Amino acid sequence: MTDPPARPRVLLVDDEVDFVSTLGQRLELRGLPTLTATNGPDALDILDDNPVDVVVLDVRMPGMDGIEVLRRIKERHPRIEVVMLTGHADLETALEGMRFGFFDYLTKPVQLPQLVEKIEDAFRRRCGEQADEHEVFTDKLQQHMIVADRLSSLGELAASIAHEINNPLAVISESAGWLRSVAGRESTTKSELEASCERALDKIESAIDRAVRISHNFLRFARAPDAIVREVDLGALAAEVGDLTSKTAANAGIEIEVETKPGTDCSIVSDSYQLRQVLLNLVTNAVQAIGNDGRVGIVVGGDRSEAQIEVVDDGPGIPEEHVERVFEPFFTTKEEGRGTGLGLAVSRGIVEKLGGRIEVDNRPGEGCTFRLVLPRQRG
Amino acid sequence: MLKMKLPIDILVVDDEKDFVEMLSLRLEDAGHRVRTAFDGDSGLAALDEAECDVVLLDIRMPGKDGITVLKAIKIDHPLVEVILLTGHGTVDTAVEGLKTGAFDYVQKPAKFDELLEKLEDARDHRAEHEKRVRRAEARALMRHSGDV
Repeated sequence: MTDPPARPRVLLVDDEVDFVSTLGQRLELRGLPTLTATNGPDALDILDDNPVDVVVLDVRMPGMDGIEVLRRIKERHPRIEVVMLTGHADLETALEGMRFGFFDYLTKPVQLPQLVEKIEDAFRRRCGEQADEHEVFTDKLQQHMIVADRLSSLGELAASIAHEINNPLAVISESAGWLRSVAGRESTTKSELEASCERALDKIESAIDRAVRISHNFLRFARAPDAIVREVDLGALAAEVGDLTSKTAANAGIEIEVETKPGTDCSIVSDSYQLRQVLLNLVTNAVQAIGNDGRVGIVVGGDRSEAQIEVVDDGPGIPEEHVERVFEPFFTTKEEGRGTGLGLAVSRGIVEKLGGRIEVDNRPGEGCTFRLVLPRQRG
Repeated sequence: MLKMKLPIDILVVDDEKDFVEMLSLRLEDAGHRVRTAFDGDSGLAALDEAECDVVLLDIRMPGKDGITVLKAIKIDHPLVEVILLTGHGTVDTAVEGLKTGAFDYVQKPAKFDELLEKLEDARDHRAEHEKRVRRAEARALMRHSGDV
């Protein structure tokens, strides 16, 4: 067996010609020898004639789709690793691809550093495989389990998304159907038709806006960046969030008070950017929960092992039947267009990634406290 | 095209206002009579005011959810047929609904022809059911008068 090359040799397969050539050049610049193909059959031909370590493969292509290409690659060249590229609409297809053993997947739009990292990981896997079959088998199994785990939580989320997207889709479907039936009637006058068009198009456009918002939020959710960990001053963070929210709050007659409990050590090691996002979300929620006239406290405290930030409001509290559901993706009681129901789900995801948790003290009729509990040291 | 079919009295209960509005227009266009409600309680109130043939009932609504509303309808208006509107993730709930007495369910976004067919089936079912109830009442009446 020949020694593996120092750098992975890549085959990039995507039906968008511009995408393939640009990305191919950029991979070359990063020192990865890259071949390209714009459809499945070409890709398979190239693999028959050229040594390739890692294939980067688009899921959605006209003609032979990515899953079929993947299946054939694995059939003919079981040792070649495949990284799938998926649009957010193709996650279910990606799940299907798992059965054929791709190495990992990336959601489009692709970020180059991520892609290079995945290619290099896949390449290490391939080299390792040549070194020790047994070790690689368990390793591979583990890798598959990790991917399976990630995809199953994505699968759950995908089910919620499908549900949420179906609502605007239903509006679009009924509007279009109605319009078609108005247009198909011989007795319909021109002005009737115009008015109907106007009415249906309004509905269709706002349904599309809504679907777009949902998909954007999902992308943000799916792409929670890795933590950038350093020392964070929670007192300063609380003050900053207080400043950021005070104006909107004041407009609704709500006062925001930032406080640090005496004797608190405000310094922890965490990701200040992500914590700020979470805290902003909690404070904004508190302000919206109160509605008009009230008070939100941001209180920094904790003990030697854990730090806490409490967001205390004197609003109506959470109805008992909703308490269990507030962290569910897409659960919202806000009016359509005001909330996506992802804020708390995202916040909890972030905080858990940082090794902490969010607790809720609900006092129906008197208010609610969301408590951010964070370890002093990460990990 | 002339449709000889009888109009169906439909009550649409769904919190998605735009959806309700467009679906009603479409159903009316197909020759049916439609009333609407945007939550469970007003749906039930509308039925108390006047019954209808079929209720198109969304499963997932804030406040009273579809299954709760379905149960209430089946107690107060047992002859009214209910077709559940389900989303992608609520098919399990739809099954629960069928066990609780819903006539059928459709997934949103629904195929209109399929929906019309189910509405007609539901209306026919109700008519059949009513006929049997009337016959049974008549028989009961005769037995009673026989006793006397």
